[in-house]
Amino acid sequence: MTVDSSTEARPASPAPATKIQLVDCDVHPFIPQGVRTLAPYLSRSWRKRIFGHPGELPPQGGLLGGQLTVPSNQIYVNPAGLMRRDAYPEDGGMPGSDPDLVVEQLFEACDVDRAVMFLPQFPGILSLPDPDMAAAIASACNEWLLEQWLQHDSRFRAMMIVAPQDPDAAAAEIDRIGDRPGIVGVHVPMLNILMGERHFYPIYEAAQRHELPIGIHPNGVDGVHQRAAAFAGGNPTYYVEWHTSISQIFQGNVTSLVAHGVFERFPRLKLLAAEGGFAWLADVMWRFDKNWAGLRDEVPWVKRPPSEYILDHVRFTTQPFIEPSRREHLEVMLDIVGAERTLLFSSDYPHWDFDDPGRLLRSLPTGLRARVAAESALELFGDRLL
Amino acid sequence: MTGSSERGSSGTRAAATQHVVCPEDDLPPGGRVIVELEGRSIGVFNVDGRYYALRNVCPHRGAPLCLGTIGGTMLPSDPKQYHYGLDRGVLRCPWHGWEIELESGRAVFDPVGTRVKTYPVSIVDGAVVVEL
Repeated sequence: MTVDSSTEARPASPAPATKIQLVDCDVHPFIPQGVRTLAPYLSRSWRKRIFGHPGELPPQGGLLGGQLTVPSNQIYVNPAGLMRRDAYPEDGGMPGSDPDLVVEQLFEACDVDRAVMFLPQFPGILSLPDPDMAAAIASACNEWLLEQWLQHDSRFRAMMIVAPQDPDAAAAEIDRIGDRPGIVGVHVPMLNILMGERHFYPIYEAAQRHELPIGIHPNGVDGVHQRAAAFAGGNPTYYVEWHTSISQIFQGNVTSLVAHGVFERFPRLKLLAAEGGFAWLADVMWRFDKNWAGLRDEVPWVKRPPSEYILDHVRFTTQPFIEPSRREHLEVMLDIVGAERTLLFSSDYPHWDFDDPGRLLRSLPTGLRARVAAESALELFGDRLL
Repeated sequence: MTGSSERGSSGTRAAATQHVVCPEDDLPPGGRVIVELEGRSIGVFNVDGRYYALRNVCPHRGAPLCLGTIGGTMLPSDPKQYHYGLDRGVLRCPWHGWEIELESGRAVFDPVGTRVKTYPVSIVDGAVVVEL
């Protein structure tokens, strides 16, 4: 790996000797039976509360267990099937449920050196009215990730998850496991409260204390569950509509973080916006900077042009990558969004819209490939990737 | 963004020309006049007895800056704190709200790169005089 020393101020990259040349920043494990699978990782009290039975193996179809599932976020029905067809394990399980198949298809077939996992089923907990139950399930998810995945192969990394309903409980969970080997960031499911608001500050404070970036990812329940982030104007009807519009929630949250001065208050905080697109940055940054020039006294803590905070603190994953019909449009867009600093490769394995790293990286200008493939990820996650 | 990089002090100019703008009594505290001097539109202000003259063109989109309101602004601060300052020291463009410090002509949001030309004002024999 070569590091372009002419590029202006950025943190020093880890030593080239790390040999990490390809980091996949959005990979999805699957919890086979939802919250039933998590039962061994819940306390007896919580098993009793959730399943009506304190044992490690809750009865199938039990009085309570039959009602509460994680996933409860498969609301929009994908006509192509949500999963890559060749990613189903032979045992009939769901894609992403067999670590060995992920190792084969991602590490071996695609030469991925590190896989950063988001747990996309988890935002189903946004439907839970009980913040303590949500926090307990979050902890169980984290223990499951640590035991089933991070201990399975040293190339897996995880975004630990927190239930954002109770920010103090979320901060406590970050303190509890934030420094465990393999944890590289904190996945905060997006609520119907924009991320600049005070509600989230205990989470940001804890994340910054542990030098962990915050991660956001499409919830799957956006606009559906009451506490999930809402779409502007109303709920989409179709999967294609939902999938196309999902970036508006990212736009709102990134704008909110800057407007509220979160990056002034937590100057070491970073945000990884996964699967939320990035081409919208052109409009948001230009619009935001222009507005700020005349309206800055409303938010005098925003001391620099808003686009500078975005480019310094927010990182974006590539998938689903934009595919403009004219190549020069792609190159101009990559320049506008500061792709050399801001863009991190992701495949979204094993989902239907998986981007193959070889093809994706070859579509980039040569000078960007090493940056997007690994260097920017190493800057974001630091030694936790080594 | 295009900004004026002209210097506002007459001391740096070789041959300043003095222009009588109006009798002193015609520009009381709180008053302003817009005049054309050497082909340039210039706003002259009396703010609480202090006089200012600025080019009447906003560096943003060319708006008649000197028709804007005079007030203060929120100084750069920590998140969620407001610190009002520059009371009656800021001219706010009537079009897009850019804030220009009367004293320096510098934009509050970009004091280094964005600046409006300012001119010295004095009272000479009961008249308001602007130096170009």
